[in-house]
Amino acid sequence: MKRVLIVDDAAFIRLALRNMLEKNGFDVVAEAENGAIAIQKFKEYQPDLVTMDITMPEVDGIGALKAIKTIDRNAKVVMVSAMGQESHVKEAVINGASYFLVKPFKEEQVISTLTKILG
Amino acid sequence: MAGLVHEPMLEMFIFETTQLVGQLEQLILESEQEDCFSRSAIDEIFRIMHTIKGSSAMMLVNEVSSLAHAVEDVFYFLREFPDVKLECASLSDLILSTVDFIKSELEQIKSGNQPVGSAEMLLQQLKAFLTHLKETNKIVGAKPHKEKKQQYYVPQSKAQAQPAARSFKASVFFEEGCEMENIRAFTIIHNLKAFAEEIYHFPEDIIEDDSSAEIIRDSGFHIACTTNCEYSEMQAFFQDTIFLKNFDLQEISDISEFKSSQTRKIEIILEDTPDTSVLTKKEDRVQEEKSSTQQSIISVSVTKLDKLMDLVGELVISEAMVTQNPDLQGLALNNFSKAARQLRKITGELQDTVMSIRMVPLSNTFQKMHRVVRDMSKKLNKEIKLELLGEETEVDKNIIENISDPLMHIIRNAIDHGVETSQDRLAAGKMAYGKVLLEARNVGSEVLVIVKDDGRGLDKTKILEKAKRNNLVYKPENELTDQEIYAFILSPGFSTKDQVTEFSGRGVGMDVVAKNINSIGGTLQINSTPGQGTTITLKIPLTLAIIDGMTIGVGSARYTIPTISIKQSFRAAPQSVFQDVDGNEMILIRGKCYPILRLHKYFGVKTEVQEISEGILVVVENENRSVVLFADALIGEQQVVVKSLPNYFKIFPKVDGLAGCTLLGDGSISLILDVVGLMRFGYSA
Repeated sequence: MKRVLIVDDAAFIRLALRNMLEKNGFDVVAEAENGAIAIQKFKEYQPDLVTMDITMPEVDGIGALKAIKTIDRNAKVVMVSAMGQESHVKEAVINGASYFLVKPFKEEQVISTLTKILG
Repeated sequence: MAGLVHEPMLEMFIFETTQLVGQLEQLILESEQEDCFSRSAIDEIFRIMHTIKGSSAMMLVNEVSSLAHAVEDVFYFLREFPDVKLECASLSDLILSTVDFIKSELEQIKSGNQPVGSAEMLLQQLKAFLTHLKETNKIVGAKPHKEKKQQYYVPQSKAQAQPAARSFKASVFFEEGCEMENIRAFTIIHNLKAFAEEIYHFPEDIIEDDSSAEIIRDSGFHIACTTNCEYSEMQAFFQDTIFLKNFDLQEISDISEFKSSQTRKIEIILEDTPDTSVLTKKEDRVQEEKSSTQQSIISVSVTKLDKLMDLVGELVISEAMVTQNPDLQGLALNNFSKAARQLRKITGELQDTVMSIRMVPLSNTFQKMHRVVRDMSKKLNKEIKLELLGEETEVDKNIIENISDPLMHIIRNAIDHGVETSQDRLAAGKMAYGKVLLEARNVGSEVLVIVKDDGRGLDKTKILEKAKRNNLVYKPENELTDQEIYAFILSPGFSTKDQVTEFSGRGVGMDVVAKNINSIGGTLQINSTPGQGTTITLKIPLTLAIIDGMTIGVGSARYTIPTISIKQSFRAAPQSVFQDVDGNEMILIRGKCYPILRLHKYFGVKTEVQEISEGILVVVENENRSVVLFADALIGEQQVVVKSLPNYFKIFPKVDGLAGCTLLGDGSISLILDVVGLMRFGYSA
């Protein structure tokens, strides 16, 4: 089972993602509500994949992405963005994000994206 | 709403959005106090709106989502241009209207309806505000982006490699409705760089130019590159691309054809990956600081807590049933008593712990009043300062829900009727602005919530006149204390204000307030000094679920009186009881006269004890009024778990005097008396 860390400051989005992932056979090992906690949880759990929100307090998604990529160059991080955040997504891709989702996302989209990335 | 949405998600959505909206409201009000929005407030409002936008889009609550988006846009602009001139007051008004709209939509969703409100007006206003903001500050359209050339970082080694062997041309189409096509195209180019050398694409500007997304959606994204890869490898690369509807890949002989026909080369700047070590170090530190202060908190649904509370209640009853079991009477059970004491201790601790879990600080409820005061003082053109004291005081969650509305009403009354206009205040030698103090503090097993204003105070003569007109006066005028006179304003249909305003004065106010407070076992007291202000004190229990009660017996029935209402109990001498002109029984206690209420008569219970001197008299008190209950005997004091009366009970006419029921240690049922209800009877009789 693929192990996933969900990072989002909105508990609702975390729950939505968790439901979609668990229904489709992913193992959600941890959640984090900001970038700083995300980095810590990443070290602790070493998940196969991270879903990363962009706008968050403390350390934002881009900051956490950069930190995670320095911890593990091969870490797979999928950004969770919303319309209007094109430039942030671009920055994330340059900094090693595997791909991105756009809110509001559908279950099929999430699952097919994550499955492809995990190969 | 969408099919994928189920209960817990809906609950979470409502819970989180309600919280965020509350925070937002608070931020706006604070910002108003400080005259304008601070940097950090702008950041936070932006973040809150961003979250609401995302969540409500997921829930398909589109009006809220687009409204949140519009506000987000305004604050995005403010973030980018911190120095713009801004009409803070009108922005505050706009955001607060947004808050109200979102709140009402949430209410709709909560009650199971489709949200139906239209945010069109607000959306227009927000857009107009943003345009106006841009115009007055002479910033049209463009973002303040530094004109930065597109830069790509490729390792030096790769750039110096041998000229590539093959050239390919590809056209790709993305799935419909996947959004951000330009960024998806950018991802392809970015990933392609790992093994391709010269890359050309059309449209060229896929980042800064948002219209490129549309071009790609309509006519596809076209790429040409040189690489050492085989055709099959290239094919695999495109096949793995996410959200790709279809693609067309061809090997071409000369890449310059594509180049000349469509595009120019992307500039490739030779440079190694940017140094991120400094950043990382900083983040490490942030994270360490965070981990030391981070609390492990989980959220639990209230239904589970209610269930837990119920179970603890049952446990308390069962414990009493075991340790006070009639079978054990008269037996010498040393070891059993020891074990029973231990059990008693543990259930007690468990009960305290569960109770403390349900305790929530009053701060949220108190903070809400800022908004009430703000709206009122704007509408009525009075200057009011609201002071909060003891917001951290905690009470049971159920109680919080029940005092919010009464508090709001009391504060509205205080501002509307109590506090004078600035001119009147200055003429009376007071400060121009009125003060309303909202205070909470713990007193024993109760909490006092005090609302104090420094307005004109209550008009005793006016109240008394009105009370007489409404036939409310129950004893000679000169015997009424000030408090008893003030308490008249708690009667139904009582209002001395001749003019009805939008906020209060409809005369349905204070009696409802008093009823709500009574329904949670609380009391309300009014004090006032003419010209100096009015103080309303709410005395509310910490919890509703378990109370200290005195169990009394009437015939074969058992009743429980909440211990806090009991003033005294005694056995009366037969000669101290007399009758008034209407034949009602009265008793004289320390020079004061009290009506006697025979419980066996009131509830229609058969009992041997008919003589006052054979039974016991219990004096109960509420809001400075007392009545004397007559029962057979006191049975004992114990903690009881309050259960509500079953519905079929309510068809009986005398249910007025009952607040609920409970189970006693011996398994029998005891009815809990509603002292306020009995009082009404005692005085009308």
